[in-house]
Amino acid sequence: MSAAPPIDDIQPRLQRPSVAEGLVQEEALLEAICQGETEFALLAWSPHDRALVMPRRHERLAGFPEARRVLRERGWPIQFRSTGGTPVPQSSAVINVVLAQRCQVGSSAAHLEWGYRRLGDPWCAWLSDLGVAEANLGAAPGAYCDGRFNVRIGERKLVGTAQRWRRVRGSRDMAMLIHGAMQVGETPEALVEVVNAFQSAIGDPQRFSPASHVALCQVLPDLDLEAALPGLLARLGEAG
Amino acid sequence: MTTEITVPTDLWEGDTEGVITAWLVNDGAEVAEGDLVAEVMVEKAQYEIEAPATGRLGIAKEEDEVVSKGSVIATLEP
Repeated sequence: MSAAPPIDDIQPRLQRPSVAEGLVQEEALLEAICQGETEFALLAWSPHDRALVMPRRHERLAGFPEARRVLRERGWPIQFRSTGGTPVPQSSAVINVVLAQRCQVGSSAAHLEWGYRRLGDPWCAWLSDLGVAEANLGAAPGAYCDGRFNVRIGERKLVGTAQRWRRVRGSRDMAMLIHGAMQVGETPEALVEVVNAFQSAIGDPQRFSPASHVALCQVLPDLDLEAALPGLLARLGEAG
Repeated sequence: MTTEITVPTDLWEGDTEGVITAWLVNDGAEVAEGDLVAEVMVEKAQYEIEAPATGRLGIAKEEDEVVSKGSVIATLEP
């Protein structure tokens, strides 16, 4: 793992780190909130390499060493993240947007539903700006790392979301980090196949369906993503 | 006096259950008030649980056990 950059160096524009560096930068954002350095931060990154990323508890599964070997041989090394959920592929076909914010415990801001809407509602509004009318939040049965607050298009998962909460030092306030991973390139089949390879290697019979996923390039094939992304970040900043 | 470590009741809405995803301190270890001791996951959200007092940790709920809001997951003996 690389050392995290100073928080002042993290700008709300698309970063191109390695998966490991991106995960370190996310942790730095949460820690900056906890240390009182800032009350709000945004980070957008898309890795230049690839990995299958999952919470560390998966390491306890009996078949994990073999699954790790199999995935490494396929060119998808396993890495761990600090947010919840299940395995998710990270590659240049994925853009991650991370929002960190200080929240008061006991208010509605302390609830995870609020956190998911804090990220998901502006994301849907941004898609609407781009002409996608049917974006909403919800589950996508059959999708990998499914949850109740995916950003969906036509009930297919475009963005997976997850959170981490930590107490702010010397305060009852909490630091929330919410992460959205949006598939922008490749086909759903390409990424679902990686997760299903892990499922097979770990001995879990559950398989996921490409039909439950959608990539942004399928919906908006002519989109200039680098030009459009600041609009998403602006939406997220305004909503705070 | 024994201090209980509980899953906070004000972190999420509804009656959704969570899972202990990690103990960051071994059973029987000495911890200080404010130390991170465990992680609980509910609906893809990871919450860090702190020690509410200083003492010796007695784990009551193991990793991967299901917990609900307010559940006692460990105790601290002074």
